[in-house]
Amino acid sequence: MAGKPVRPVNAIDQTRRMLSLVTYLRERPGARVEDVARAFGITEDELVSDLDVLPMCGTSFRGGDLLDIDTDGERIWWHNPAALGADAAEPLRLAADEATALLVAARAVATLPGLRESDRQALLRATAKVETAAGEAAGASSRLSVTFESEGGVFADVDRAIAERRRLWIRYYSPARDEVTEREIDPIRLVSVGHTYVEAWCRRSEARRTFRLDRVAEIRILDEPSAPPEVELRDLSEGLVQPAAEDPEVVVEVAPGGRWVAEYYPHDSADELPDGGLRITLRTPDPASLRRLALRLGRDGRIVEPPELADSARQAAREALAAYDGVEAAGTTGRSEGFE
Amino acid sequence: MAIAKAERLMNLALCLLGTRRPLSKRELRESIEAYLEAGSDDSFNRMFERDKDDLRELGLVIETVENLDGETGYLARRDSNRLPPITLDAEEAAALGLAAKVWQQARLAGAASGALQKLRAAGLPEDVDPYGAHGALEPRIPVHEAAFEPLMLACRDRRAVVFDYRKANAAQPEQRHVEPWALECWRGHWYLAGWDRDRGAERVFRLSRITGKVRSRSGRFTVPVPDVVTVRETVASWAGETADRSARIRLRSDAGYPLRAKATSVRELGDGWDELEIPYGHGLDAWLVEFGPDVVVLEPAELRADVVDRLRAVAKG
Repeated sequence: MAGKPVRPVNAIDQTRRMLSLVTYLRERPGARVEDVARAFGITEDELVSDLDVLPMCGTSFRGGDLLDIDTDGERIWWHNPAALGADAAEPLRLAADEATALLVAARAVATLPGLRESDRQALLRATAKVETAAGEAAGASSRLSVTFESEGGVFADVDRAIAERRRLWIRYYSPARDEVTEREIDPIRLVSVGHTYVEAWCRRSEARRTFRLDRVAEIRILDEPSAPPEVELRDLSEGLVQPAAEDPEVVVEVAPGGRWVAEYYPHDSADELPDGGLRITLRTPDPASLRRLALRLGRDGRIVEPPELADSARQAAREALAAYDGVEAAGTTGRSEGFE
Repeated sequence: MAIAKAERLMNLALCLLGTRRPLSKRELRESIEAYLEAGSDDSFNRMFERDKDDLRELGLVIETVENLDGETGYLARRDSNRLPPITLDAEEAAALGLAAKVWQQARLAGAASGALQKLRAAGLPEDVDPYGAHGALEPRIPVHEAAFEPLMLACRDRRAVVFDYRKANAAQPEQRHVEPWALECWRGHWYLAGWDRDRGAERVFRLSRITGKVRSRSGRFTVPVPDVVTVRETVASWAGETADRSARIRLRSDAGYPLRAKATSVRELGDGWDELEIPYGHGLDAWLVEFGPDVVVLEPAELRADVVDRLRAVAKG
């Protein structure tokens, strides 16, 4: 038979959680559902579904020593904690994957330049303790590493502005327009997804905007209080750039040398072309911003739609070349003079 | 109704942790309802083997011991499964709470929460909301590449792998045999460093360029894994960040902020243009072309020629 069946990850995670839960509940008779769910980072529903399973578990289902755990929806009671020997309910050692997941993340977060020094120290102390407690299991964590990119000084100012609820003034570079603009923003949160961004309410456009910290040319914390309107925080797990359905469509055809476009630009489709290239369809609120892409691609690709975008790239290239014709001509003249 | 897998795993774990002497497969089958209902011996055996593997993934150390009758027995000894004493204060707990939330990959997110839950059971202080304590920072580690999980496991278990890889400028993917060493995330993308068996050299691969499945190969690594694996340096040089020369350009006064940020010198020419000296590494030509008529390369001649060549290709359209 080919391969193992697909593993239902949730059964693994649930088992892991229930093993810790047993240890935890043993120490805390009458623990509140709400508190336990928070301590375990799960919803109350998830906890209740664990509490439905636990009474079916024990060291022998025939011996009458199933765990007698129940809840009235508010508190959790374990009526026969002796069903597990004292030592059978001790905290379990960390698995290699658990140690890896926690340690790699902790080391990555510790590299964030804007992290408060006291938090960084706490994280480093915690990391060292977890490494020791994990023992051998910590070894595999050296196989993974993550570096967050962020601009130290800018980060620290944004972080402080958020903590003190103050408005920020920034000079911000927009690559789409190749221009630096000044604006005042009310910062909401910092997000690191590869690059570090601040999500904020932009007072110039009166809209929510996301700013990449390495594009902040200058920053100042203002005395005015920050007062972003209540906005629902977006789930950013699908990426920061989430084109809207009504955005205009752009079609780019690239040769094999331009396949990287599909890696860098979120797109609707990327169809293989016979020469090993791709036909990529993407959406953007501002197709003119892709002129840079058209120029960059050179012989490795061209804009198919919209035609105005293709024209503007051609036009820009011709203008640019004109400057070289001038310089070239001057150079030639110089040489010929020398020759004479 | 079939008994949920989590219930079965939990029962097996409690039996193995609770026993002082090795339990035979037969005893375990009689103690666990799901195994009694498993039907044939074959299906029970398969189920049992899988469950043991799953519990080992969760970190349980399960010993296999042969008893006097030559029957195999299993147990999870307390002293090899106990978490060593660990005491963390409230700040340390909050910091770990933040770290445990950064993974956006299901397996590692689950593992990180699992680690935190084990520490919680061992007395990790609560009552601290990691976000409240820290403020507004929400770091996330993105993992969009399907190749990530199999490669992570292969690095961990030191198993060679084979996959199809399409180089940045290649029309067709090519099969690569690799002994995977380490994975690194840089600027939001994942890279693999390892020993390329066909090329007999260390190579770095970008995970998004792996096409199709990552398959495992049996057998040991043929080359020792270096203590320090440098992924970033290699990737940085691809990205043109290891400039060894410099270039001179003219730039329109109101344009090209990122070029200015990198410049080693900027001189105003007074006619609406500035002259800049900038580091010249791999990929600079493509970057300069993005600025269209706002940039003119002065020297070196080679860079000028590359930029003109690219502009001509676009102008012809």
